[in-house]
Amino acid sequence: MIPLRNRVFGPAALSFPTWAYVVFFFIIPVAMVIFFSFGYKPDIYTAVATDTLSFDRFPEAMTPAFMSTFFATLRISLLGTFLCLLIALPFAYWIAVKIAPARRSLALALVMVPFWTNFLVRTLGWQIILSPTGFFSEGLLALGLTQERIDILYTHTAVQIGVVYNYLPLMILPLFVAIDRSGTKLREASYDLGANKVKTFFKVTLPMAMPGVISGCLLVFIPLNGDYITATVLGGASGSMIGQLIAEQFNSAQNWALGSAMAVVLIAATVIVVGVGFALLKIGQLIAAKANSIPISNGRV
Amino acid sequence: MSEPSPINVLAPNHKVDTITRRAALAGFGVLGLGALTACGRNTTMAASPPVDGTIESKLNLYTWGDYDSPDLLGKFRDDFDVLLQVDSYGSNEELIAKLSSSRGTSGYDVVVPTGSQIDRFAGHDLLQPLDLSLIPNFSHMDPNFTDQEFDPGNKYTICKAWGTTGYAYRTDVISREMNSWQDFIDAAGDEASGRTSLLSDPWELTAISLATLGYSLNTTDDKELEEAKKIIIDEIAPHVRAYFGSASTGMIQGSFDLMQSYNGDARQGFNEVENPDDWEYVFPTPSANLWMDCWAIATGAPHPDAAHEFINFMISPENSMPQIEYIGYPIGVKGSEKKARKAKFDNIDLIFPDQKVLDRLEASIFNEGMAARVDILTEAKRRSGAA
Repeated sequence: MIPLRNRVFGPAALSFPTWAYVVFFFIIPVAMVIFFSFGYKPDIYTAVATDTLSFDRFPEAMTPAFMSTFFATLRISLLGTFLCLLIALPFAYWIAVKIAPARRSLALALVMVPFWTNFLVRTLGWQIILSPTGFFSEGLLALGLTQERIDILYTHTAVQIGVVYNYLPLMILPLFVAIDRSGTKLREASYDLGANKVKTFFKVTLPMAMPGVISGCLLVFIPLNGDYITATVLGGASGSMIGQLIAEQFNSAQNWALGSAMAVVLIAATVIVVGVGFALLKIGQLIAAKANSIPISNGRV
Repeated sequence: MSEPSPINVLAPNHKVDTITRRAALAGFGVLGLGALTACGRNTTMAASPPVDGTIESKLNLYTWGDYDSPDLLGKFRDDFDVLLQVDSYGSNEELIAKLSSSRGTSGYDVVVPTGSQIDRFAGHDLLQPLDLSLIPNFSHMDPNFTDQEFDPGNKYTICKAWGTTGYAYRTDVISREMNSWQDFIDAAGDEASGRTSLLSDPWELTAISLATLGYSLNTTDDKELEEAKKIIIDEIAPHVRAYFGSASTGMIQGSFDLMQSYNGDARQGFNEVENPDDWEYVFPTPSANLWMDCWAIATGAPHPDAAHEFINFMISPENSMPQIEYIGYPIGVKGSEKKARKAKFDNIDLIFPDQKVLDRLEASIFNEGMAARVDILTEAKRRSGAA
């Protein structure tokens, strides 16, 4: 048995930065949210009290307004993740395969450039682009492509555009890494064996990029599900997301117990959706493996 | 090839074996428990240092967004050599929460609660009494705006600004004459459907239908509130596109034809849109809110001298004009309407409503009907989202 003193101050303490990060920025905050979700709001001057614990906040959290907003959010995040994947896949392929290696880092740097600006400011920028008096609308009008001003600010569509824009780099980067790592040799082998470009993409490049697809989808879907800035800035009444309801409980209603319960429900639901996604993927892979397998009997095909 | 070590760590090799998962987890636990126990509770309010006649070098102002002329704030900074820091909130609840949870250690000096809520603040020791001898400009305040029911003798507060609620609309879209809240509801359901915005404030929202029904805007009667809710949910909410704290931004973007708005915010919007002639503001009949925001000093304010000096500075007659012109609300200083009319401020009738209008307004009260109003707002937002 190693004495506790040595565990805390011994060589294991060298992993302090990792611990500290995990403990202070993950374990404690999540533990507090879970703990507060069993509490209640005693009066308007106190945000949360935990002297008596109960599950009462959970049924209170799951009102019809909460549920309908939740499903609207889920639709936005699933569609958003899919659109990001659809745009990022050819783009990452292009950077990893088509572009000259010397220019590759420049292209990647350009993908990162938007991150130099604050998330909120970037989203506010879309308010200007999408407003009926904005340049997108004015431009289409001037080109004669539309007779009416484009009026999509404060709608569901505006939020969808906003989230795809905001989370796209998080999809491109892991995809690029995965495609880049798979190297050129297997693709060349595929061509040598007579597969055309399309077949090579679907039989070699895409399966090799699968880890990137999965991590990209997780990186986009999970934060997107909890995002409330994009919806607050671009959404209006019809494009609201679940994160806004939670933020409202913390900021304006000052009911941390109810807000925490909502957050716990959101976390659980996100975990379930990701789990179902993984299960579907596994089943799909099994079916694909079965369909592609070549039955061998007596050493002959 | 040798087995790769499971841990990459910057430690002497012979020590690596002693780093176990258990040791690491024990470290997590000790740190976590330590941090959690640090979040103890303390219920007494911290006290403010006494006023000593010397202005401190710092002042922290916590107020509503964009609610003071930046030029004036800059002038205060320069004149008194004070590092002035401004922070903003969006509702009285937010202010209450910050002040009450920090127990006097929020670091904020000057705060701006709404008059109708003052007893919630004063009753819970969130504000400290003002020393009016340090605010000589108080003598320039219009007696109509001092010694209010919510704060007799101006013990805690001084009027900061007052205003009312109405709506702005596009005359090129809605051509008929608009006078009442009923006209607002009709237009929302007709010409301005899908291009209407409401204030994201439970009291203001409910007031629209309570006014058309002829009930008191501060009613606590369940049946009256239920009737008001029905109108809001069925007749207004399906046509609403967004809920705002301030209407001016939405006005500039051009996504709206009908906007519930405070008078000064509408004026700010009118001053910035490209087509101000297409906009009209209505002080609707039969009634609307008459609100007053107040200067106050938070309990435990670390810079009380600078705080008193700042309030004195902001209500001085010579500074009242730039302030009114910027925020678009009267600030309760004697004779400022006359001076503003002489200086020909833009849209001055939006800043100073007619006496006829003032006579029919009703000041909002925070009462037990508030929870029902919050429910109405939540339900209305849901209905608008489903439209």
